[in-house]
Amino acid sequence: MKVIYEKPKVFTDSVTTYCGGCGHGIVGKLIGELIDEMGLQENGIMVWPIGCSCLSDRYYDMDMMMALHGRAPAAATGIKRADPSKFVMVYQGDGDLVSEGMAEIMHAGIRGEKFSVIFINNAIYGMTGAQMAPTTLMGQTASTAPAPTGRCEDNSGYPVKMAEILAMLPGVCYSERVTVNTPARINQCKKALKHAFELQLQGKGMGFVEVLSPCPTGWGMSAVKALDWIDEKMTEVYPLGVIKDTEKEDK
Amino acid sequence: MKQELLLSGIGGQGVITLGESLCDAAVKAGFQVTFVPFYGQEKRGGRTMCNITISDQVESPIISEANIMLIFDERSLHDYQELMDPNGTLILNSSMIDAEPTCQYGKLDKVPFYDIAQELGNPKTANIVALGYLAKLLPMIPYDLVAQQVERSFARKPKLIPINLEALKKGYELS
Amino acid sequence: MGNQVFMQGNEAMAESAIRAGCKLFFGYPITPSSEVPEYYARAMRERPEEGITFIQAETEVAAFNMVAGAAATGHRAMTATSGPGFSLGQEAMSYMSAADLPAVIVEIMRAGPADGEILAAQGDYFQATKGGGHGDYCNLVLAPYSVQELCELMQESFELAEKYRNPVILLSDATLAKMRESVELPGRPELPVPSELPNALRGCGKDKEPHKVITCGDGAVQWGAFNDRLQAKYQVIREAEERWESYNLEDADIILVAYGSMARVCVSAMNLARAEGIKVGMIRPISLWPFPQKAFAGITGKKFLVCELSAGQMVEDVKLSVENKRDVSFFGKLGGTTPSPKVVLEQIRKMEVC
Repeated sequence: MKVIYEKPKVFTDSVTTYCGGCGHGIVGKLIGELIDEMGLQENGIMVWPIGCSCLSDRYYDMDMMMALHGRAPAAATGIKRADPSKFVMVYQGDGDLVSEGMAEIMHAGIRGEKFSVIFINNAIYGMTGAQMAPTTLMGQTASTAPAPTGRCEDNSGYPVKMAEILAMLPGVCYSERVTVNTPARINQCKKALKHAFELQLQGKGMGFVEVLSPCPTGWGMSAVKALDWIDEKMTEVYPLGVIKDTEKEDK
Repeated sequence: MKQELLLSGIGGQGVITLGESLCDAAVKAGFQVTFVPFYGQEKRGGRTMCNITISDQVESPIISEANIMLIFDERSLHDYQELMDPNGTLILNSSMIDAEPTCQYGKLDKVPFYDIAQELGNPKTANIVALGYLAKLLPMIPYDLVAQQVERSFARKPKLIPINLEALKKGYELS
Repeated sequence: MGNQVFMQGNEAMAESAIRAGCKLFFGYPITPSSEVPEYYARAMRERPEEGITFIQAETEVAAFNMVAGAAATGHRAMTATSGPGFSLGQEAMSYMSAADLPAVIVEIMRAGPADGEILAAQGDYFQATKGGGHGDYCNLVLAPYSVQELCELMQESFELAEKYRNPVILLSDATLAKMRESVELPGRPELPVPSELPNALRGCGKDKEPHKVITCGDGAVQWGAFNDRLQAKYQVIREAEERWESYNLEDADIILVAYGSMARVCVSAMNLARAEGIKVGMIRPISLWPFPQKAFAGITGKKFLVCELSAGQMVEDVKLSVENKRDVSFFGKLGGTTPSPKVVLEQIRKMEVC
């Protein structure tokens, strides 16, 4: 029998517990494929956040640390500074990176820490029951921003564009926003992740990839509708594309 | 042998440097020495005080009573005179202090350290004049060790060594 | 006198840490701890052969987590802070203890609460010894009383942290930090290879054996077992690591109990009292967690005077150690004043009269 498809070798046999239609599993698989393709398993260390992805320790045969909520960039700084020869990947959601850990990610970028950051932006707190995130859209409802107004500016201000903010820092060499709602965009997401990983291996600086990720459960809609909602609502606030790539600018 | 010293002045007067130099010399003379500085929160113009113990054995770095108290400004006199040993020596910088102490003391020396330093040609050496003055009161610390310490502390500004050695000698000969 | 140097507590301690192979320092400046990050920052530039990395973190929150990350790789790493910064680090203290991370945290106590004063105090005793963070966890706490002991316990902190795979808090105070004293700097001990420490993050290598630092529970059964394992770790430490020094206990009528810079004052007070014919002894706890209960075992017919620069925190542990059966009184100062030996002597005289 001919093998035409198999799961990445770095994966364990555990089955993910993400909700149907969730984007985490897609990004997680892309990471697994890249670790295999780029040979990162032996010398790589993953740093996971608190959030839906905090069960990721079950999914990879990799060295890893599950950091405190928001502190993953600080923990990764300690790891990378202790042994700069390691490949270090940081994975964070919006509660972790934008809210609890805003100082940690900003200052890791300010220092130009040479690790790769994957930021899952689903505009909601998925794990804890659909509370408002700093990335929640205006008017979007959440359990802490209920109908009829949803998120309103006088109470909660405006959505945060992390990929643009981080791109302003000289220490960040690459920042791109992607999504995973079509096969072509999943391929683009993989390219972006690969580029960030390569920049780290070349010792260039921080590579930052923001992924607009569907959360049908948190958004209260079907998986298919959630994919459409990214195009209809999210990309308007969070435009896709490369925001900064110093490597390309050099050429 | 046990000596407890309290030195106090305003930040910038060189009280801490004075104390450190004295302690370094005392260590080289073979004594157990502790030096604890106390600063105000302001970087300039705040109070600087230090406790020094020179002993044959391990002592509390916080002194009970000063056998020797050197005071550079009037506010320090007001604040610390209650820590004066009734039999000890109180030295007041009379260039800046008009007030009379209200505490008990064994001996009171009023020395115009700034005027003396001014006469030597550099008012910044007032703390070194005072160091010389203290060295005379602490004969178990050889003068040469104190002089070597002054040379070391100005190693980066060798031009200033001669005038500071002169200031040290002047202070030593005063007491 | 050998190789004695006259050095400030903070600087001597930092040098001792570098010699102990701690080449990673993450910290945020705060008085009275700032000479430690400053020393590391200078050493990183002036002594390139040492391979030192110093990072000034944005907050103590980040600094403690950087230490956690570095310690997870098996490399010796530390931070130094004071009260308000130590408060910010408590989340990470809980985390590092649970995650078996061999980190060393220097906490240089100043007068609290809140912003407080920069002068010496001992009001962070509860926070250090009882766990200022969340959950059931314990961290070793060592309290030196001289610049020499500061240097020696600095090195020992790393050994204990690695032995038990648990953070160690070196509890100093503003007086010890700023004080200058003669010290013989410790040497350079043999170091374990970082990547060979149990579970050190290093990449899972060719044998594909992953190392995972996880403190996230998976149901009550799993998390209960996780906690039981932690408690077993703490129990081993409790039984093995009580440290203290006793002075003149045999004939003493009054026993002083003090640690840190206050213990230095009490040694002199004890000597003053003995010169007056008052029979005073002293117990100086060196490990504050585990508290040296054994030091109090079998002592009968004596009065205790616990002296602290706090409103009375360690006094609770002393009462527990004597099972509330002895006469235990307390003397303390708040706000940054350290009482002199003579002031303590007056307290001793009052007890004599009673």
